[in-house]
Amino acid sequence: MRLEFCWFCSSKIYPGHGIQFVRNDAKIFRFCRSKCHKNFKMKRNPRKVKWTKAYRRLHGKDMTKDSTFELERKRNRPERYDRNVMENTLKAIKKIDKIRHDRAADHIAQRWKPKAAKERREARKELEQSISLIKAPLAIQSQEPAITVPKIKVKAPKQQTVEDQLMEE
Amino acid sequence: MAQYDFKKITVVPSGNHLIDIVLSRTQRQTPTVIHKGNAISRVRQFYMRKVKFTETNFTDKLSKTIEDFPRVEDIHPFYDDLLHVLYNKDHYKLALGQLNTARNLIKRIREDYVKLLKYGDSLYRCKSLKLAALGRMCTVTKRIGPSLAYLEHVRQHMARLPSINTGAPTILICGCPNVGKSSFLNKITRADVEVQPYAFTTKSLFVGHTDYKYLRYQVIDTPGLLDRPLEDRNIIEMCSVTALVNLHAAILFFLDLSGSCGYNISQQAALFHSIKMMFRNNPVLIVCNKTDLQTLEGLSGEDLKLVMEMKSAALKTIPGQGGEAANDKDVLLTMSTITDEGVMAVKNAACQRLLDQRSERKMKSKKMPTVLNRFHVAMPKPRDQKERPVCIPQAVLEARAEEAAHEDRKTEKDIENENGGAGVYSASLRKHYILADDDWKLDILPEFLDGHNVYDFIDPDILQRVEELEREETAVEEDGGDFEMEDEDFTAEAEKDLQEIRKRKKLLIQKHRIKKSTAESRPTVPRKFDKDRKFTTERMGRQLSSLGIDPSRAIERARSRSVSRKGRKRERSDGGDGEDEMEIDGGLDNKKKLRLRSRSRSVLPQRPLGEVVPGEGFKDSAQKMKAVTMARNATKKRNKDARRGEADRVIPTLRPKHLFSGKRSIGKTDRR
Repeated sequence: MRLEFCWFCSSKIYPGHGIQFVRNDAKIFRFCRSKCHKNFKMKRNPRKVKWTKAYRRLHGKDMTKDSTFELERKRNRPERYDRNVMENTLKAIKKIDKIRHDRAADHIAQRWKPKAAKERREARKELEQSISLIKAPLAIQSQEPAITVPKIKVKAPKQQTVEDQLMEE
Repeated sequence: MAQYDFKKITVVPSGNHLIDIVLSRTQRQTPTVIHKGNAISRVRQFYMRKVKFTETNFTDKLSKTIEDFPRVEDIHPFYDDLLHVLYNKDHYKLALGQLNTARNLIKRIREDYVKLLKYGDSLYRCKSLKLAALGRMCTVTKRIGPSLAYLEHVRQHMARLPSINTGAPTILICGCPNVGKSSFLNKITRADVEVQPYAFTTKSLFVGHTDYKYLRYQVIDTPGLLDRPLEDRNIIEMCSVTALVNLHAAILFFLDLSGSCGYNISQQAALFHSIKMMFRNNPVLIVCNKTDLQTLEGLSGEDLKLVMEMKSAALKTIPGQGGEAANDKDVLLTMSTITDEGVMAVKNAACQRLLDQRSERKMKSKKMPTVLNRFHVAMPKPRDQKERPVCIPQAVLEARAEEAAHEDRKTEKDIENENGGAGVYSASLRKHYILADDDWKLDILPEFLDGHNVYDFIDPDILQRVEELEREETAVEEDGGDFEMEDEDFTAEAEKDLQEIRKRKKLLIQKHRIKKSTAESRPTVPRKFDKDRKFTTERMGRQLSSLGIDPSRAIERARSRSVSRKGRKRERSDGGDGEDEMEIDGGLDNKKKLRLRSRSRSVLPQRPLGEVVPGEGFKDSAQKMKAVTMARNATKKRNKDARRGEADRVIPTLRPKHLFSGKRSIGKTDRR
């Protein structure tokens, strides 16, 4: 018994699921469900179909290069059974799995990081540009009168009329 | 010696049938037409031909029959005797003799009448002569009718006789009825003789063939013999007696130890002694059958003595003529046809005895020395006294010893049979695994774990590599946390502002969308004609203050510039203005006031909706309201159809596709 990978979506095929297709050139195509099988029959390229692992890996959405992948390799030479080795292997699988999972999560988090920065930049720009919708420019705000002239006591001629003073305000 | 084939004898026609055949032949194969006007020689010739032809036919047929049947003088005495037993030689000979006589008679008739015909003078005379000739021939044939019938009967029976090759090595099985002779035949050959519990199941001789040392042996099964004097024997018994006497074969005398055949041992012994004369120089074996019911050892003393007597008699019957038993053992054998025990041994012993006899006879024949002289077996002379024994390597000897020791070891098949047979037990292939520790042989091997194939991960130094991995991970962790915050977060105030901005933008967008969607149906009314009185200075003031600007000056200005301020006539109707009456006299001249007050467009004063204006033609407020409602409903309908007014009869798309095309999923498309 072996867990195979679906040719189209690269998901795991458990025993008892899916369909295998053997072509005349003896190449075997395994599919996990009829969705993948039908897509294959439609001659769709999995590298162009968004939800497949092939697409995700090709477009850098998922982690591709990692040392954990080298530990899981299809070995064609049978090894003589050794209980200790088996024990160690089982423990190791769990650890490797966890590490790989964490690393994949990291990869995806890394992908999302620039978005936050970008958002912040855009927000700042928006703030800068559209502040006029909620706040009047500093020049005419009531908190700060437009012409802020420090009160300098000037000895002014007494000919200035009351109206002129009023007009200035 | 030839193999007789009685099947090839032609069918013997009965008397009448023979006559019919011959006469019809004559009629067909000779010319039939003659006239009395023809020349007399021709007439004579015609009739002579007929007579001769008939005679030829008769003679031919009779001769054929006579020749086909075997002549008793010429055949093997076995067949001679057999024929005599079955058909009575005298009768047989007589019949054949009669046929011969008839043939001669017919010849005589033909000679006579042909002589007479030579001198026939008229057609009539010739015709009568021919008639007489043919008639006499037919009478003769009629007279031998019974003989012909008898011969036909004999022929049919003979054809069914088993074809026994008198020259081939033969094994003859004899004994009392029901001892198991036919079952033995069935066992060693492919013959399928009927085996039944009653006596005289086998009524004639049966032949089977078997192989031994690349030679083919005939095995003849005989009917059972009873202990009677020869004269009293019936035909069936005579068959077996004939075979016994005439055939040269190894004789297997069958003995039933258990007595289940119906005859006890003394009776069987008596039979043996009475027929042992017939054995002559044939090798004899005494076979004790049915050992599953009674073994030789279990016999009582008397019976055993009788058996031993028989054995010694069997040994004696070979007075140096060859075929002597190699050892005592070969003469007396035991077997059981039911359990198959000893059957093959018996057959092999019989065949071997025959072989020995043959080779001895060959050795004693006159031709032997000439053959012997032709070949010479060379024995190499030893050149020195050195012993050169057989050389077997030690390993081989050891292996052989081990083999011998292991011979009664338990095989897998035995284990399988013990544990329930083929369908129930399945052999454990793991037993013979070569592992570092034998405890591991019965381990269950996991194949999947957490969605991974375990076999893909197996590696002797996998732990080491996993450790490396973990170290890497921890290193990265300590390293990491490089979340560089390039920019600082916003302050709370800035956040709030941002939210405000976004909210405001949303509102604007919403309003714009509403405006756009209702643009067709609602006329865009410029602000100065706003019915709802939304655009007031208070509103403006509120908006400006929310922006953070002091609105007072703006309000002042707006109000000062409003038309009502600039000296509008007070005489206008009372429903007109709702504007502020506050006067701000900022020192403007009258001209300015007038200019400010004048409007480019006249505006009707507002009235309450239901108010009846005298010139309109309504009798009361209720009627006016009804009219208003009707107008409103009509407008609604028009607005719904996106018509600008009553007179708008534009059809934007004359032939919309969805009304003029398409098939129905069910039904007809006769009308649209």
